[in-house]
Amino acid sequence: MRLWKSKRAKSAQARTNRKPAPVEDAYKHSGLPPGKHSGESNSTRVPEGHSPQVQTPEGQAPRRQAPEGQAGPKQPLKQRSARPTGPLVATNKIGTTSFRGVDPPSPEFSGTTNPVSRSRIRAVTLGMGLMTVGLLFQLIRVQFGPYAPIFAARGDVGSSRLERVVPARGLIYDRDGRLLAANATSYVLEVETRQLTAASRIAIAEVLSKVLVLPLGDLYNQLSQDWVARGQFRIRLTRSDQAGEPLPINVDKYVAAVLNEFLADPYAPDLSGLSLVANPKRVYPNGELAGHVLGFVNQENEGYFGVEGYYDEWLSGKPITIARPMIPPEARAQPDPPAGVNLVLTLDMDIQQMVEYELYSAIESSGSESGEIIVMDPRNGEILALAAWPTLNPNEYEPWLVVEDGAEPVITPAVGAMFEPGSTFKVITMASALDAGVVETDSIFLDTGEIEVGGNKIRNWDGEAWGPQTMLGCMEHSLNVCLAWVASEKLGASTLYSYLNAFGIGHLTGTDLSGEISGQLRTPRHPDWTESDLGTNSFGQGVSMTPLQLMTAVAAVANDGVMVQPHIVRQIVGPSGAYSPKTIVLGRPVTAETAHTLSEMLATSLEGETAYASLAGYRLAGKTGTAQIPGDFGYDPRWTIASFIGWGPVDDPQFLVFVRLDKPETSPWGSVVAAPVFQKVVRRLVVFLEIPPDVTTG
Amino acid sequence: MPQAFKQAPWRLQILSTSRTALWIVGLVVLGGVYLAVNSKVASAGRELLILERRHELLVRTNGELNATYAGLISPEFMMERATYLGFRPALPAEIQYLPVDGFNISVGFEAPRPLTSEEERQSMLSPSYTETLGEWISRFAIGGDQ
Repeated sequence: MRLWKSKRAKSAQARTNRKPAPVEDAYKHSGLPPGKHSGESNSTRVPEGHSPQVQTPEGQAPRRQAPEGQAGPKQPLKQRSARPTGPLVATNKIGTTSFRGVDPPSPEFSGTTNPVSRSRIRAVTLGMGLMTVGLLFQLIRVQFGPYAPIFAARGDVGSSRLERVVPARGLIYDRDGRLLAANATSYVLEVETRQLTAASRIAIAEVLSKVLVLPLGDLYNQLSQDWVARGQFRIRLTRSDQAGEPLPINVDKYVAAVLNEFLADPYAPDLSGLSLVANPKRVYPNGELAGHVLGFVNQENEGYFGVEGYYDEWLSGKPITIARPMIPPEARAQPDPPAGVNLVLTLDMDIQQMVEYELYSAIESSGSESGEIIVMDPRNGEILALAAWPTLNPNEYEPWLVVEDGAEPVITPAVGAMFEPGSTFKVITMASALDAGVVETDSIFLDTGEIEVGGNKIRNWDGEAWGPQTMLGCMEHSLNVCLAWVASEKLGASTLYSYLNAFGIGHLTGTDLSGEISGQLRTPRHPDWTESDLGTNSFGQGVSMTPLQLMTAVAAVANDGVMVQPHIVRQIVGPSGAYSPKTIVLGRPVTAETAHTLSEMLATSLEGETAYASLAGYRLAGKTGTAQIPGDFGYDPRWTIASFIGWGPVDDPQFLVFVRLDKPETSPWGSVVAAPVFQKVVRRLVVFLEIPPDVTTG
Repeated sequence: MPQAFKQAPWRLQILSTSRTALWIVGLVVLGGVYLAVNSKVASAGRELLILERRHELLVRTNGELNATYAGLISPEFMMERATYLGFRPALPAEIQYLPVDGFNISVGFEAPRPLTSEEERQSMLSPSYTETLGEWISRFAIGGDQ
């Protein structure tokens, strides 16, 4: 209370100082004698001769006031005071009069306002209001105006980073769940060009050259270019491949660890600007095993050939681009890109490994240049094993891409390379003749050792005449003359080629392995076809096909005349569930009766002529093949393709095996070189497939 | 006496001071809450970024471990190991088959599903984490689940 009075007095004095009023008038109005009022204050005394500075309304106690000497320093208080200072006389709300110098009434009781203050307030309020309105207008314009997207884009700059997220490539398993293709990490070397210094350019080139055994000059040339001037702020270091093309430098985790230690060590060479970026890498844990089936994935995560090539879009998923926030409060869970599917193949890796081993042994023992063994279930077309020599390691596929100009690399020869099947093709010719009813098992043919078809003389493999032979004998002894006779004299071109078409010769099988070709078959509609083709085609000459085409056709004989599509994928597992492809029936080229008849013929012939292929306890059917190799100047007289195709058990076929050896040195004949390999494979195969011995023969 | 009806100035001053102080305290409380929430969000965001990086690293590591494991159980490696331990492939004549009616040992392998997409991951979350305030209010307004 005292303090308040004192302040009021000071304030009043300050106001009075600014516009002094006559002292006498003031006392006159107050009704108090000069100097009397100061005596009422026990704290201050106004010196004589000084203006009292305080005017009190009538009947009110005089206020305490400070001495003049004290009023000076208090001047700022007056300026801070919000009390009205204008009029000398004012009336309060209830009509009483107050005088200047007296504490003015509070706003609640004030009937008038200082006009100067009000104008100031109005001006300030107006100014602030205008600013607020302008601010609001600008806010609305920025948020919703025509340039809103531009403003938004400017705002987003630096708040996030665009990233391309590549989903993990789908895994590939064999039918028992063993992993065939997995994902690992490699690291690519990237350089932030704006961080490069003269010292770091040299240091990076030297370190990488020593660690990765790469040309120092090549690395330094990449680093010393003025990338910033070209607007490239981040580059990938490359190396040259065998063809001289630049490839990104990929290092494994061990090398990456070494380089990361260099980067983290302050005493190591200055590698400013260098960084290692993790990159998905496809790995094949089994190495060369089933390499031809799997194909490979390049550094850009693109699948080629085999399963990787055929199912590339499914396996790779769909990469997406996300804006990854750099400001922690704005971080949100980022969406995962649609993942690639996982595949379960029909391959059995135990059988695959066994088959590859037997193929390798056969290649070694026969001195062959190359070879193939394929195992298929004729009932549903599932490929159980597919081996080819030379082997392909998908982890190191690059040498396979170096081919002659214009040629395509053949990664999966089972579908990508064609050959003349030779006598194994007789199975199809005989099946056609039996099904057409032009011959029967015991139909007799007099083999004179030579037959002329379309002006072309055809002889047997040994050049000998085999005399009267049944159809069984023709197949057992693999007589070219007999089959040419059947084709030309019994079947005729129209019927034979109609059957060949039904067997899918010259057509794609549609199998799910990338790189399949259709083969070549000249029909009478072809301008280059001659009648002699009819004779040679009957025993597998002049017709080219892939091994899988031959297997598909022969599988129809083994499978009661039903020809199914060969396939390698047993199950496709995506995020939404699993899908198992159904067995696709390609056609029924021959009746079941015909198929049984021919199977019996071939089983009998196997037990006789080609005993090298038989297996005790199991009834097997099969046919040998010895094909000449066509070249630019006719057939090569030195080399052959020795092959064998067979299946078993005859009563309930569960496997179909094709063996092919190219250019064997020990013997040109399929019965000598390929048939024993078939036997070895089947001996192990029946164990893996848990096929008990045939009761009737066991 | 008109002064009898007049509010004491000190009361007015205290009143205005109190009001101002109340506003200030309110603003400080609001600011404090805002800062606390924001710091928590920032902390959670930072943790999320770290977890995402860790997730990527774990996925990569997991893939490499799977590949290593697959190499260790590859048929070639197992064959070498079996040979080393004295085993050899069985021949057909050495196996005896015992037919049991109705017994089928072929249990087909089914591959694991690939990593789920974001949509499916979202559907696994409780609505409490994803619904908006408006949805929450409307859920209560229409008498939905409480």
